[in-house]
Amino acid sequence: MANDRLRALEDVEKEIALVLQSAGTIVLELSKEKANASLLDRQLNQFQTSINRVESELSAQIRYLTQVATGQPHEGSTYSARKDCQMALNRAEYARVKLGELGHTCEMMLDPQT
Amino acid sequence: MATQRVLPQSKETLLQNYNKRLKDDIRSILDNFTEIIKTAKVEEETQVSRATQAEQDHYEMHVRAANIVRAGESLMKLVSDLKQFLILNDFPSVNEAISLRNQQLRTLQEECDKKLISLRDEIAIDLYELEEEYYSSSCGQWDGVELPLCEAFHRQDSWGSPEMTSDPSRANPEDPDNLGSQESMQRHLNSHDSSTSEQS
Repeated sequence: MANDRLRALEDVEKEIALVLQSAGTIVLELSKEKANASLLDRQLNQFQTSINRVESELSAQIRYLTQVATGQPHEGSTYSARKDCQMALNRAEYARVKLGELGHTCEMMLDPQT
Repeated sequence: MATQRVLPQSKETLLQNYNKRLKDDIRSILDNFTEIIKTAKVEEETQVSRATQAEQDHYEMHVRAANIVRAGESLMKLVSDLKQFLILNDFPSVNEAISLRNQQLRTLQEECDKKLISLRDEIAIDLYELEEEYYSSSCGQWDGVELPLCEAFHRQDSWGSPEMTSDPSRANPEDPDNLGSQESMQRHLNSHDSSTSEQS
């Protein structure tokens, strides 16, 4: 859910860049002696579509934030789960080290010449 | 549909500011672009000379193009502010992200502990057999204080736990250190149990 909204905002950023790019292409095409009408139409449609999309998407995001924002800081945390997981991984690592030492000791016992 | 909450003044002001910035920037882009297109039209009759008019149009287009770029950058800044506001204040998605992460971490922890417990069980079986082999050979001599695991299980099977703890007089008369052996067996079994409870 959070990722969808953030991804939508990243798409809006790309749309803004597209708005400026299509505006520049239109002006560049108009500066030529013989302007390509079909290119101008395409770029103009692109410009209008992009700018409408930017406005509607950003308005929707601001409307959503008006509904869900409480003004209070969020006090949730994943600290306890992270700590428990870290301790479990430490236990596994400790067991691995001890088994390694045991294996080394067995090898030493079996081969006294080394 | 969520009802409109009474937001703190700062948050409401902030969101209204975002709306205003959005409207202003979109309006600026559209107006300046429209004016550039209008200025691009070549006028037949001009009040000043053609060169002067061209120079003026050139300057005006520069300024309007700069305004469009400024409005575009202002929109990018607005998007950045909205992203930050969303991360900090969108509680439904923050709650979901937290619970998902907790679930993943707990799954990993349970899997890790499950594997450690199965490893412990396998090693206990091997240890039992090794101790049996070792202490039954001529090399393995135990002094009766610290019982090997195999001997502890043998004795537990032959005596039964309640009889051993309640009535020490019924213990094996051949064993001179019987009370110490009982304590050491309990200690041995308790140490295995406590290691189990620590891991779980």
